[in-house]
Amino acid sequence: MPEGKYCNKTPVETPEEVNFLLSDTSGNTYYEEMESLDIDSDLLWKTIQNTFKSRLKTWLEICAHCGMCAESCFLYQVNNRDPKQVPAYKIQSTLGEIINRKGKVDNKFMRHAMEVAWAQCTCCNRCGTYCPHGIDTGIMFGYLRGLLYQQGFVPWEMKIGAGMHRTYRAQMDVTNEDFVETFEWMIEENEDEYPGLTAPVDKEGADILYTVNAREVKHYPEDLAEAAILFHIAGENWTIPSAGWEQTSLAMFAGDWAACKMQVESVYAAMERLKPKRMIGTECGHAHRATVIEGPYWAGRKDGLPPVESIHYVEWLAEALRTGKLKIDPSKRIKELVTIQDSCNYIRNQGLKDATREIISYIVEPGYFVEMSPNKEHNYCCGGGGGFNGIGIFRKQRNKALITKRDQILKTGAKLVLAPCHNCWDAIRDLEEEYNIGIRWSFLKPVIIKMLDIPDHLKPEE
Amino acid sequence: MFKKILFATSATEVSDHAARVAFNIARSYNAHLNIFHVLGVPSRGFSQVVVDVKTKERVDVDDDYMDWVKEEVTTYYSKYLDNGLESSITVTVGLPAREILRQAKDTKPDLILLGGSTGDEKDSVYKKNSAGSTLQKVARSAKCPVLVVNRPAASFWGGLSNITFGTDFSKTSDKAFDFAFKIAKALDCELNVFHALDIFSLSIGGILPQDDIEQKIREKLRTIRSRYETRLKELKNYSMEVLEGIPYIEIVKYARDNHSDLIVMAHHSRKIKSEDANLGDNVEQVIVRAGCPVISVNR
Repeated sequence: MPEGKYCNKTPVETPEEVNFLLSDTSGNTYYEEMESLDIDSDLLWKTIQNTFKSRLKTWLEICAHCGMCAESCFLYQVNNRDPKQVPAYKIQSTLGEIINRKGKVDNKFMRHAMEVAWAQCTCCNRCGTYCPHGIDTGIMFGYLRGLLYQQGFVPWEMKIGAGMHRTYRAQMDVTNEDFVETFEWMIEENEDEYPGLTAPVDKEGADILYTVNAREVKHYPEDLAEAAILFHIAGENWTIPSAGWEQTSLAMFAGDWAACKMQVESVYAAMERLKPKRMIGTECGHAHRATVIEGPYWAGRKDGLPPVESIHYVEWLAEALRTGKLKIDPSKRIKELVTIQDSCNYIRNQGLKDATREIISYIVEPGYFVEMSPNKEHNYCCGGGGGFNGIGIFRKQRNKALITKRDQILKTGAKLVLAPCHNCWDAIRDLEEEYNIGIRWSFLKPVIIKMLDIPDHLKPEE
Repeated sequence: MFKKILFATSATEVSDHAARVAFNIARSYNAHLNIFHVLGVPSRGFSQVVVDVKTKERVDVDDDYMDWVKEEVTTYYSKYLDNGLESSITVTVGLPAREILRQAKDTKPDLILLGGSTGDEKDSVYKKNSAGSTLQKVARSAKCPVLVVNRPAASFWGGLSNITFGTDFSKTSDKAFDFAFKIAKALDCELNVFHALDIFSLSIGGILPQDDIEQKIREKLRTIRSRYETRLKELKNYSMEVLEGIPYIEIVKYARDNHSDLIVMAHHSRKIKSEDANLGDNVEQVIVRAGCPVISVNR
């Protein structure tokens, strides 16, 4: 059977197709079908010739097999230093092989490559920091995922996720109407407490265009309320777009390059339509990477930048606290040991470590903040990055991967972990459920709202 | 009085006493009862996995699973579901407080009835990382009164004859009074207006002489009269009382001594508690302790 009903090379593009794929519980049939999925070697080799360019070629070529990357990889450490978990080996034995064999690889090889690409690398890019040649295996795995996706060798949830983006321009089945309605609902729920609270939709020329993660709309709409409250208290002139509001990209995790482009272009279209001064995204790591760092290249933007200046939520928070737009009541600062999870995607990959530390300096009583070790750009992945969190067949490997973060947190002695990234937040949530270490974890928004010193004119009458 | 009731339940033993009350009211007042069950909490990032609230197992939720759970809920309440009771069953996935509020937004019930707590923080899959319990969140944000039956002893509802309304003279309390008054009038029952003088907040910085306390009690009684008596006179039976003590304890005692079958109180939405605070608000303490159902009104 070359192409399966569920598992095939065709992307999912309509609600019906998404639901059909979802109806195969846990992807059981999907993975059975994958075992006999044919490889289109001609297409694979042609794609490589068109897309495998100088940077990746050089990296694959100049790797000296020195092994400096080994210790940098938390998956190598946590898997008993198995040589097969050395980043250089992982990429050479997968992407390297496909190139060596000019795309003439078999089904078994591709299934193995899929496991390596999604269960042995979270694209955290830590190894790139330690390689004397600056080879970034995480980037190469991102590329390999693209090749695997094209051939249909992609974990079930990732195919669904990419399909969601193609169908809804969101990572979940949340429509534009759902988004606006949910935001309005949240305003309604909170306007008594915060008189004058609004979430202006499609306001042109606002100072801030706010984009989110669809999971907030679907499961945690409080997050939308909290964003609105903080902008409101800070006196910001902000807006949300009625379309192009989803900042995340499971398509990036899936390696669905075309969907990556579609998704990010929807956000850029909102920027171009509404002409805000800046775009600010929610507390999410990969969303920032997708929309702000990699997105411009997917969209073919020559300057490598989004249409308007785009900053991460933590940069806005730090700025709002620094400029006094948001004031903290010092008596309400955190007075217990607390640590922060550095998200790979905007700390290591964009250098925003100072922004989060600056926020900490306002919200934590001096003496109570404990750094993880290592930290900042050297911090380890939460254990669930790059899509690892959501993939059922690799759950065992993922749970093992959480051990690094668990032990880092335990070592700090902190019971509260700030995690300004959806993916890290999820991984830490799951690690508490798996290992019961007795911690709490939180985004920054709810923590900050609790300690705000709200100006009298913004308080409700009574 | 009640046309549409939303009964949020775990469909387990802890909700049994609430279920008795829910089915009882629905039957007595010919209301439509929507039995609402949040079967599990989303887990594992964007995957389809949820942690099932009953089994605490991780399951892949699909339509079959939802149907199966719906079937389970139907079976669980089968003994109540006959005799032409108008009801529907809704099963969903998400964080309970949020999903209850979402369902209430969509169906606009006159009353939300919450089942019992699903156990202590450690066991419950519902409460993981929530800022405050389901009860706190729903009571804070619901647009209609929220009825809670927390103790088995509070589950008797053989019709209403005696209501205790606890007031702190706030605006929200006035709203709660309107509601208590409406029920009392519609169902022809006795309404007792009660205020507890908080001697602890009064006595900060020293012990208060009893004369001063009694002076305050007289003042508060006058406030009750001026605020509520004109309307109370429309009822056949009513009373007004002020006692000193710890407010939530006094209210619970007062309701017990008066054989009240319902307590109505305001919920102050602005005092939402942080995740590590216990139920601190008076109404929440009353809910935990009362020997009858408690209705919390926030707007």
